[in-house]
Amino acid sequence: MESSQDAATPRRQPPHPWTRHYRDGISAKLPPPEHANLAVLISDSAERFAERRAFTSCMPNGMNGALSYAQVDAASDAFALYLREGLGLAPGSRVAVQLPNCLSYPVVVFGILKAGCVLVNTNPLYAAGEMIHQFHDSGAEALVIVDMFVDKLPEVLPHTAIRHVVVASLAQFFPPVVRHVVQAVLRYWNRVIPPCPVKATPLGEALAEGRRLGQAQGISVPDYWRDLAPESLAALQYTGGTTGIAKGAMLSHGNLLANVAQIEAMAGSHIGDGEECVLTALPLYHIFAFSVNLLAFFKHGAHNVLVPNPRPIQNLQRAIENYPVSWISGVNTLFNALLNEEWFTLYPPRKLRAAAAGGTALHAAVAERWEAITGTPLVEGYGLTESSPVISFNPLVGTRKPGSIGIPVPGTEVRLVDDAGAPVAQGEPGELTARGPQVMQGYWQQPEATAEALRDGWLYTGDVAAMDADGYLRIVDRKKDLILVSGFNVYPNEVEDCIALLDAVHEVGVIGVPDLDTGEAVRAYIVTRGELDRDAVKAHCRQQLARYKVPKQIAFVDELPKSPIGKVLRKDLRAQYLKDHPHAATDGRPSC
Amino acid sequence: MLSPLEETLLAIMMAVIMLGMGSSLTFKDFRIALRHPQAIGIGFASQYLFMPLLAFLIGRALQLPPIQAVSLILMGCVPGGTTSNIFAYFSKSLLGLSILMTVCSTLLAVVMVPLVLTFYTSGIDAAFRIPSGNIVAVLGVLLVPTLLGMWLRRRNANVGACTELMGGILGVVVIVFLIATWVPRNWQLLMTTGPEVYLASVGLGLCGFLIGYWFSRAVRLNPQKARTVSLETGIQNGPLAVLIVTLSFAGETQQQMLLIPVMYSLFIVITSTFVTFYYRARSLREELARDQAKVEAEGPVRG
Repeated sequence: MESSQDAATPRRQPPHPWTRHYRDGISAKLPPPEHANLAVLISDSAERFAERRAFTSCMPNGMNGALSYAQVDAASDAFALYLREGLGLAPGSRVAVQLPNCLSYPVVVFGILKAGCVLVNTNPLYAAGEMIHQFHDSGAEALVIVDMFVDKLPEVLPHTAIRHVVVASLAQFFPPVVRHVVQAVLRYWNRVIPPCPVKATPLGEALAEGRRLGQAQGISVPDYWRDLAPESLAALQYTGGTTGIAKGAMLSHGNLLANVAQIEAMAGSHIGDGEECVLTALPLYHIFAFSVNLLAFFKHGAHNVLVPNPRPIQNLQRAIENYPVSWISGVNTLFNALLNEEWFTLYPPRKLRAAAAGGTALHAAVAERWEAITGTPLVEGYGLTESSPVISFNPLVGTRKPGSIGIPVPGTEVRLVDDAGAPVAQGEPGELTARGPQVMQGYWQQPEATAEALRDGWLYTGDVAAMDADGYLRIVDRKKDLILVSGFNVYPNEVEDCIALLDAVHEVGVIGVPDLDTGEAVRAYIVTRGELDRDAVKAHCRQQLARYKVPKQIAFVDELPKSPIGKVLRKDLRAQYLKDHPHAATDGRPSC
Repeated sequence: MLSPLEETLLAIMMAVIMLGMGSSLTFKDFRIALRHPQAIGIGFASQYLFMPLLAFLIGRALQLPPIQAVSLILMGCVPGGTTSNIFAYFSKSLLGLSILMTVCSTLLAVVMVPLVLTFYTSGIDAAFRIPSGNIVAVLGVLLVPTLLGMWLRRRNANVGACTELMGGILGVVVIVFLIATWVPRNWQLLMTTGPEVYLASVGLGLCGFLIGYWFSRAVRLNPQKARTVSLETGIQNGPLAVLIVTLSFAGETQQQMLLIPVMYSLFIVITSTFVTFYYRARSLREELARDQAKVEAEGPVRG
């Protein structure tokens, strides 16, 4: 593969066996970016697909609202004007967005990018402490928040630099009658909309104000983004990794544009301009849905169906029934949950072309059932917040390898290294490091953390992977989740994958816990969907796994702790275990 | 007796309720339902075997006069009401199962209600019997808004969802409407009505709850499903019975005939509310018990 890095990085020539699997127009060299910045991409798409439907927000009962490409463009222009003229924000100012999937999200986010401001995506479910950390650390000056969570603001705002609050509602941009019905149900029936205790501007008023100021002063919105270069900062995307305090990954316009180009290089064969309908059940504030669903599909004129809350999974039923969904992006838990729904397995979406899995390991059993039931490929990819996020994907055309996270996307180099930083032999597990135009600029105001994650231009992911002779990567596990049983390495993924093969297993999470005899012991948490006992699980594992990998402890639970996008949080399982067994860490013997 | 205006209003409201029920459905739902013959079978049995039999036996035991015996049996024969779905929601039961049972019993009603009603009322004076043709006509007419609702939902999801919501709310409004218009004007009648009529009106619903629950448990449904079937069995479509009576009788007979359906509708709201609170507490207790079991499950596995 020819190096697509900028000329400043030293040219090494590690082997790139994956390049021969780039087929049908996938070029090993990433073409130069088509757009100077994201604002240009957005306005270009809006012009090309003007009358086409861009976003639909679908409530669990089927109530919905929609915006066309032209409408999103006009509304986001108005929001950009409001930020720059109404609030007087300078280019580069951080604007925090705390919205679930709804029509306001693209309007607000595109407005921020067009204004040349920096987006700070924030999980709407954050507690006050988490909000304070993220807003304070990013130095956000304005906040756009959904009306359901404004009650936390009096506690949060005094500790931050936020001077302006804009409030959006879930039913914003819905047809008037439906909007009032949804608002009334949320406010009076579900009682989830508290009164707003701080001074705030409703989004509708902010947009009207923006339009008024734009007309009065004769401002041309494209002037805002004329000077935005690929190096300009687009977003601070906070990530906790597996350790405590969240850090802001600095993603530039160039990073995100490169990743959009890389996604289309891998999936372009299954994406027709103006033909797709993509189901967005994952939250857009998460980098996976942000880059894949929001940016890449917007570029190709897709109709994006936004689901505010995919839990319970039945909330997706109306969206899948009512729209000709051709693409679904999700995580293992989402696909697994869909496959357990009768309405889905009996009537899988007929127009479906492909589904993309990321975020966490896709279990082979889930991928197999998905392909059997929908008749379409479910391809797994891999990425991190720090890499905008996609690093590797299985090609949709050509060889897909089950259990593999695919091959590095064009323009990306991947090296697996040992603890000393030296490349490991082919086939051996090593820490995955990656280099490419999608890799972040660093962590916001965290030089030490940046120096640790980015070394000589390589991003150290903390994930252990192995590469086969074709260049296909397989994630062995998180480096930090490795379990050491009597000196043997046990990777939780492998044990989870094995247990998940049992029909009665709905979900499973595996962690290592202190053990007096073996140092650490394998402990499995299982959510069942049928009769199952511990002996059956152990017997099954003994058939499939080496003895030391068989779980020593098994707990049946009702649910597993999960991240906002549905990753099983092993660190929470570990923390809970250590809390319940306070002496486990010291004497290695769980207290009974 | 209801005035012509009230009768028309009642008919319109019933049509809207059925429109709402239709717009909560797709044809796929039926095909999915057909894959669960067990649930449908249980619903069918409790709806068209137990409830009419129960009404018949209560009528016999309390020695109700023919006119009230017929209206009680009618009450036992009519399909489940849409209000049961609202109570199912509040009691943390299975809303999907509840809706499905309501729909199935309503669709089957066209055949089953005349059949069962004729069977149980065959020994009663023909003047008080309800002509089968009337029932078929009413239910047949009500199928039209149901299908229209399904079509609406297909055409426009927003209109469908709003109609569904409106239908659910109207289900309660109709009962309030019936009570508000009928009770004050028939105060005298209510005061002179014997305790056996009150007992029958309240008892039918209560026995329905019990039988629905124990029957489901007997065929090994889990407690949550059993609670859903229980509510579904006990709560009948009172307004539908009222509508059938008003379309079949006039004058004094109508007034007498309406007594039990209206009183049933009144008391079922009250009893369902209590049962709902009780079921809700049971649901929560089961959830807590599961949490407890989860904690205890940690014990014996330690190596």
